[in-house]
Amino acid sequence: MSNDIYDIVPLRISPLTHNLELVRSYIARAMTSTLLTSGEQHGIVLAVDEACANLMAHAVSMQPSHDIEVRVAVTPQDIVIEIRDVSEAFDPRTVEQPDMAVYFREMRSGGLGIALIRRVMDTIDYLPASSETPFNRLILRKRHRSAS
Amino acid sequence: MLRFITTTRTARVNTFTITHTHHDRAEIVHLHGYLDAHTASQFERDLRVIIEQGDAHVIVDFEHLDYISSAGLGVFMVFIEDIRKQGGDILLAAMRDNVFSVFDLLGFQVLFRIFPTVDEAMAALSNNA
Repeated sequence: MSNDIYDIVPLRISPLTHNLELVRSYIARAMTSTLLTSGEQHGIVLAVDEACANLMAHAVSMQPSHDIEVRVAVTPQDIVIEIRDVSEAFDPRTVEQPDMAVYFREMRSGGLGIALIRRVMDTIDYLPASSETPFNRLILRKRHRSAS
Repeated sequence: MLRFITTTRTARVNTFTITHTHHDRAEIVHLHGYLDAHTASQFERDLRVIIEQGDAHVIVDFEHLDYISSAGLGVFMVFIEDIRKQGGDILLAAMRDNVFSVFDLLGFQVLFRIFPTVDEAMAALSNNA
């Protein structure tokens, strides 16, 4: 994925949960001119919130100075959100999805953020940091309904 | 040169508050604002105090809750088993569409009863008496 598709000014935050509201308002503003329904927009805001919260919770090696960067691109076909971080690589696609019947029967707690992202977004891609790209990239994509 | 929106702003807009009122058969917990990974720990702490000091039944009023993420849902899972073992329950009421959709995406209606209004949740408790 080329960087130049991200035509909206990126958001850069420190990895602290009080910044989640900034992430949500940033994503919401980016979608104001789209044809996405309010329900779809809310779902996308939720997915990005969950992705960033997960990063903040699990990136124990992350230092406060290690910012998270959020980028958005809106095209006629879809909306693409890329979340960049420099913590230890963690591919959310490798997390086994909970069987909700078992989850409720055993009254478990936690571990639902990635399940929500999967339910809301059409595709999830993950590119760990490499010698060419010194940051991890989580890429969430949602197709516009009219483009499906 | 690439520009960034950075976090120089410090004032929180998406605050969360919790209040509660005692009724004959239940504690009614009113949620206001935004319940996310930042505010869920406050919610868990406050709800624990309310449950420990109050009635076995809890009705959660979502009318003024603007937003919830999985961290908020997780708080209900923390308490539901213990409160049911004690003969009580947690009933959820008056959710806005966007809040309900988060519960619905994960099928929380399997475990929790969700009512359109607090009055209907109260009536359900009375009918179970």
